[in-house]
Amino acid sequence: MYQPTCLLNEWMKENNELVNKLKQYGGRDTLSRDQNQNRLRWCSSEFHKLLRKIQGVPPLADGTHLELSVAFNACVCTIAQSQFTDAELHITQAIQRALQATEGDLHPVASDLPAFWKSVLKSLGNTALNSCLLHLLCLQWAVWLATCRLKTIQQFEVDLFSLVETVCAGGEDDRGSKFIGRSSDTPLLVTEPRKLAEFLQICTSITQGAERLAEGLSSEALSGLQKATSLSAPRALAAYVHHLSGSCFARMSCPQMALQCYRKALETDSRCVCALYQSMLIYRQLGNTQAEIQALRLLHSTLLLPSASVPVQADVHPLNPSLLLCSQSLNSQLSVPSALSVLHNLALKCVLHERVSEGVEYYLDLLASLHSEDPHGARTKTLTDMQDHLTDYAKDTPLPGLPQIYLEAGAAILMARRPFDCMALCNEVISTTVELLPERLVLEDPEERSESGTRDVGAEGVDKEAVLLWTGAAYLLLGHCHTHLKDWKQAVTHYTRCINLLVKVHFKKKGFQPQIPSADMVVKQGTNLCILQRLKGLSLAGRGISFTQMDKLKEALRDLLLSVQAFPECVGAELWCGEVLWRLGRKHEAAACWEKSWITKSPVEDLPLYLRELQSGPSLDSTELRQRIQELGPV
Amino acid sequence: MEGRCSVETLADFGFLDASFTPKITPGFGPDLFVLTGSDEVYVFNSEERKLTLVLQFPGPVSDLVQSPDKQLIYVSCSSGVYCVSPQLLLSRTQNHPADVSSGPPELQISSDSLVIGEEGVLSLLLVGSVLLLLSHRDTLWLLSLYKTPEPESSSCELLGSFSLPLVSAAVCDDDEAKMGTRRRPVLICVHSVSTSPSEETLVNSHYHLESVLFKLLFGVDAALAKSPVVLCGLPDGRLCSLPLRLPGSRLRVLHSLEQPVVFVGASVVTETAPGHAQCLVAVGEQGRVLLMKTENPEGGDRAAGFLETCVPGPAVCGSVDKQHLYYSTGSDLLMLDLSEKSSGREGQEKNEESFRKSSAVVHSPTGLKVCRVSALAGPARDATGGVQLLSLSVRGQLQKILLPEERKDLSSHPSAQVCRSAGDLLSAIGDVCERVSALKTAIKSKNQILKHLNQVLNISFLLIEDANTEDQPPKQEKQIRCHTRTRWSRLLQKDSLNLTCVLENSSSFILERGWTLSITVFPVSSSLTAGKESSSTNFSFPFHNLCPGETLDVSLPLAAAGDASFPMRVSCSLLFSLSSLLGEQEVTHLPGLQSSCISLPLNTLTVDWLHVLQVDIKKTTTSHSFYIEADPIQAFLNSHRTEFSRQVETGGREGPSKTEQELFSARIRVSSELLRDMLVSDLNPQGSKSGLCLSLLDWLLSEGPGGGKGGQQRDKIDPSSSVVHARGPNGARVKLTAMEVKVGEEDTGKEDSLSTVDVEVESSSIAAVCGLHHAVLRRIQALMLSAPQRSASTKRLQSLGLRPALQRAEIISATAEPTRTNVDVKLKTVDES
Repeated sequence: MYQPTCLLNEWMKENNELVNKLKQYGGRDTLSRDQNQNRLRWCSSEFHKLLRKIQGVPPLADGTHLELSVAFNACVCTIAQSQFTDAELHITQAIQRALQATEGDLHPVASDLPAFWKSVLKSLGNTALNSCLLHLLCLQWAVWLATCRLKTIQQFEVDLFSLVETVCAGGEDDRGSKFIGRSSDTPLLVTEPRKLAEFLQICTSITQGAERLAEGLSSEALSGLQKATSLSAPRALAAYVHHLSGSCFARMSCPQMALQCYRKALETDSRCVCALYQSMLIYRQLGNTQAEIQALRLLHSTLLLPSASVPVQADVHPLNPSLLLCSQSLNSQLSVPSALSVLHNLALKCVLHERVSEGVEYYLDLLASLHSEDPHGARTKTLTDMQDHLTDYAKDTPLPGLPQIYLEAGAAILMARRPFDCMALCNEVISTTVELLPERLVLEDPEERSESGTRDVGAEGVDKEAVLLWTGAAYLLLGHCHTHLKDWKQAVTHYTRCINLLVKVHFKKKGFQPQIPSADMVVKQGTNLCILQRLKGLSLAGRGISFTQMDKLKEALRDLLLSVQAFPECVGAELWCGEVLWRLGRKHEAAACWEKSWITKSPVEDLPLYLRELQSGPSLDSTELRQRIQELGPV
Repeated sequence: MEGRCSVETLADFGFLDASFTPKITPGFGPDLFVLTGSDEVYVFNSEERKLTLVLQFPGPVSDLVQSPDKQLIYVSCSSGVYCVSPQLLLSRTQNHPADVSSGPPELQISSDSLVIGEEGVLSLLLVGSVLLLLSHRDTLWLLSLYKTPEPESSSCELLGSFSLPLVSAAVCDDDEAKMGTRRRPVLICVHSVSTSPSEETLVNSHYHLESVLFKLLFGVDAALAKSPVVLCGLPDGRLCSLPLRLPGSRLRVLHSLEQPVVFVGASVVTETAPGHAQCLVAVGEQGRVLLMKTENPEGGDRAAGFLETCVPGPAVCGSVDKQHLYYSTGSDLLMLDLSEKSSGREGQEKNEESFRKSSAVVHSPTGLKVCRVSALAGPARDATGGVQLLSLSVRGQLQKILLPEERKDLSSHPSAQVCRSAGDLLSAIGDVCERVSALKTAIKSKNQILKHLNQVLNISFLLIEDANTEDQPPKQEKQIRCHTRTRWSRLLQKDSLNLTCVLENSSSFILERGWTLSITVFPVSSSLTAGKESSSTNFSFPFHNLCPGETLDVSLPLAAAGDASFPMRVSCSLLFSLSSLLGEQEVTHLPGLQSSCISLPLNTLTVDWLHVLQVDIKKTTTSHSFYIEADPIQAFLNSHRTEFSRQVETGGREGPSKTEQELFSARIRVSSELLRDMLVSDLNPQGSKSGLCLSLLDWLLSEGPGGGKGGQQRDKIDPSSSVVHARGPNGARVKLTAMEVKVGEEDTGKEDSLSTVDVEVESSSIAAVCGLHHAVLRRIQALMLSAPQRSASTKRLQSLGLRPALQRAEIISATAEPTRTNVDVKLKTVDES
């Protein structure tokens, strides 16, 4: 009988040494994530070796406590390495052996794990083993959580919450003695079960809340989350709870309550950028542009903060929250667009809301950071980012194509009356795209195209339609620049280039031959066809105005009429059309034209900045025009 | 003809680790860095031809890169990435000139120069101030980006990381996966031409790519952001691209070679765009070469073309210069010309385009006859214009390879090319020829089978038609039919009866291979001899060809004397087996076909007692003068009366003990008028009274089954008495007598008497009597069926009376056979109109 106890002592010593070593390492948090992983891997293999040794002998009543402790340690390491099925297997094996040793009866592990656990929990009562088994149940809980088996967790809800209570109560009792007094004769554990249980509880609440929110059960989610606010939790997790509550309120259309919750989340953890992002969205929804711009600015500056120093909890167990918070709906709740995307949004918002000079500055910042040496790819931002790149990319409203940003920036700069800068940007776009311009292009009905699912993007990722439209827009902006400089001849040249490019595009409707798109086509907004028509209208109008300034009234009238036809919403073209008619002596027609242009037209949304009518060229004073009409008198 | 490479060994580093991809990196000035898979990095001065420095690292070194100013090197080994300045170290060692003879100074690199603590780094790349590390994690490839340290700080800042899930070991098998961790993935950086307007010199693994191709491959965004693009050739065969300075960019799989990528580079520099490569090349381990170029079809839009070709593998390492790809298979160093000869000349014909494309594929590499090269360093042109390559052999020898002059190539190369292509063409023609002839024979055999099948079908239809019309009296004879002859033969003192079956093909079709004549012989009375085993016998005679008009004779033993029961039925049919249509090989593939065949009945014949009589030969043979006195007038006179009677009497005496004297007899009476009508017409036209009896006997004995002539000879009959002595098949002696009787005179005294012919059968065996009686009745019935129509009215009546008699006789003969009891049979049928 001497030998087993001696062996048990040996094993216990080994276990305790390993645990101490791991904790020692944990103290030094200078290590990189990678080294952490390596250390974990090593520990895991050591613990498993030890466990195999212990399990090499038939189950002994004396050794059960040690064995379960070692199994606990080994499984913590396994779970930390995301090997959940392995962990599950080890847990059930250890429990089976333990129960065999104490009761002699074998609990069959059916394919039905919950049933197994039910039977194990029923047979609990042996106080000595009770705590060990509960610790292992904690780990099983962690596995369920990590694999998003929320239904199973719900089945065990009562058991698990009572488990938390008992573990917490038990932990309070013998904590002092365990750690200080008898560290040599009690097997040490890698992580403190009490903390683990609390941690699991809060993580479960968060995940459940997110899942319910995604299912549309906002009020249920809210009640669950409000219960969770009373739990003690790490700062980041508490902030998540507030954040999710805010999302629930937002879903229940209580924007002000939602904003309150987001504010609380930010107060709890200033790094909770998702709360900031969500509040920005709410301001946008409320139409509070100033607040939205403010929020965007804050969000941008927060995102630019060095994020490397995510505080590492000193006594933290190897299981980090990102391992357990892996539900898709939670990730979508917590995701935040990239800093560049935020900056772009900010710049665009500023330009659109009469803060052009500020917007231009932001655009220039954006361009500068795009050209910086740093790669912008993956910055480690929040813990969720490290998990799944796929969700990141799916949710993140991606930055528009670089040429589009250039063109937007160019338009903004032109609005700020800096035509030369705008020209530089446009020239850059043109020099990049001009080699890739297709000889001719057939636009297809986007609905049909989405049916067939094929897009005319080669394997190399060059979208020919986009290239052509970008180039056209660049020529258009160049024309505007020259108009602004009153260099009419150059302006005409560039507008003409734009027009020449656009007539290469044919439109194809199902069952029809490709044709040059005409005005009577029903043009859906936001499609490439809409952009094309708009470009055509604007460039023709621009050329018409330029011709007017050059006193080529005939050509001007032709272009302006075509422009109005191609794109009826173009106000400038109609005004100038009237002007030309007036000059040609067709005053009544001119008056009709003007009258028509003053009828309010539905504003066109969703168009890139550079496709809006910029007030960069010569303008006509409408009061003066009205006066003229009055002078003309009734027909 | 071909000039040889000059190979010069510069240094020896000992055997290389086979699992490691060695590397030579040209360094500062004449310095070379050599990685052999050990813990050491060798610095070799190629001018002085000696090792100048050995850097000893704490673990096996996997890769090395140089900073653009060539002052620093970054070395990845198992514990992380180290940054050292060899110049500084070298100068430091030179300050303390130790023993010169002791060899190069060895320097231990301490962990002080560790800048990145990432383990398991396989490959390094430095782009500007960004250091890229490619490593292999459990299930992913991880590309980490670090900012190179400022001079004062000692560690790198992690900028980000990209991951790509590992493709399962479908591509590389297990042992390869194990050593795959040591295989160095390829990392290169591609710059667009417009990105770096100044013709700055590029360090290793950096290439300038023509801008259009760059845009086509990596997108407008990358070009506009002037972002260098990292290309990553993974051991799982994927070629991934990553624009470095593009927001939201990620590793994108450009192409998959489906074999470990050993080399990626850019080449083909033409005069039109000097210094800018127009082609990206990737080489797979098994010799697959991927060329990525701009395709510029006439009238179409430019697009990136991915062209895959195969060269003899395996490729171990590779290198490119402005026109050529050099790669080593281990047994030879090969040079592949990537430039297209015709591409230089502009304005060529349009169809030149397609030719060019194919020619680029066909280009076969030229062997340079240098073996065991396992690492190559970029080709350089020396002062004389020769191309010089640095290589590391498998044995660890650093070699300088000087390629033969670019020479007479122009003359010799094309001719060799032509020879090779001519040879290829010839062999291709040979292949085509073979294929054509194989197809031809196949078609021919199919045609033959079809023809054959056509014949078979024709014959089948013919026979089926015959079978259908069998009920009606046959208008004409069947075109394919069987008739038989019987013949006694004596073998080993045992008499046996042979049946000769003659298949006659009077149709216009050929009975070809595959037909079988099947003859089934069974006794008519078998149903009543149930006690015995079923005594039907089957004979098959496969035959080859039976042309129209030909006959086929087959003989089969019918019975030995005494052990057969007559009459017997002979049923003939033709079988065709479908399997004979196809060859043997095809048949074995179709087991169901082997048993399938068509069976077409021909005709059924009966062999009766008359056929099997063995007639005793008479000593005197008389002439046929008897027949001469036939009187046609008398015949005419007799014929006006249509009365007909026949009497059969069988007399038997009591007392079975006296078996020898016992004689059974049966008599059949036939109207002589009828006989004359029927027989004389075809036997002898004269017809006479005595002749009638004779000809009746003759007819009875001579006709074989199925209409053929029987085996009996007419001259065996005694002409004077019209008596035939014969032996039956059971050995019993039989006497057959025919005599003319005037029935009318004797019985009724009427003046219109009826002249008849009595046929009397006499034998001591009742079986013989019954059998013969039945046979004679059968014959006469058949005779009456075929009697001319003119006397039909009466004769049909008589035949009706005859049929029941025949049936009764049949039954009696059958019962008489097994019992052989003494039975008195008395049949009397008198038909009066």
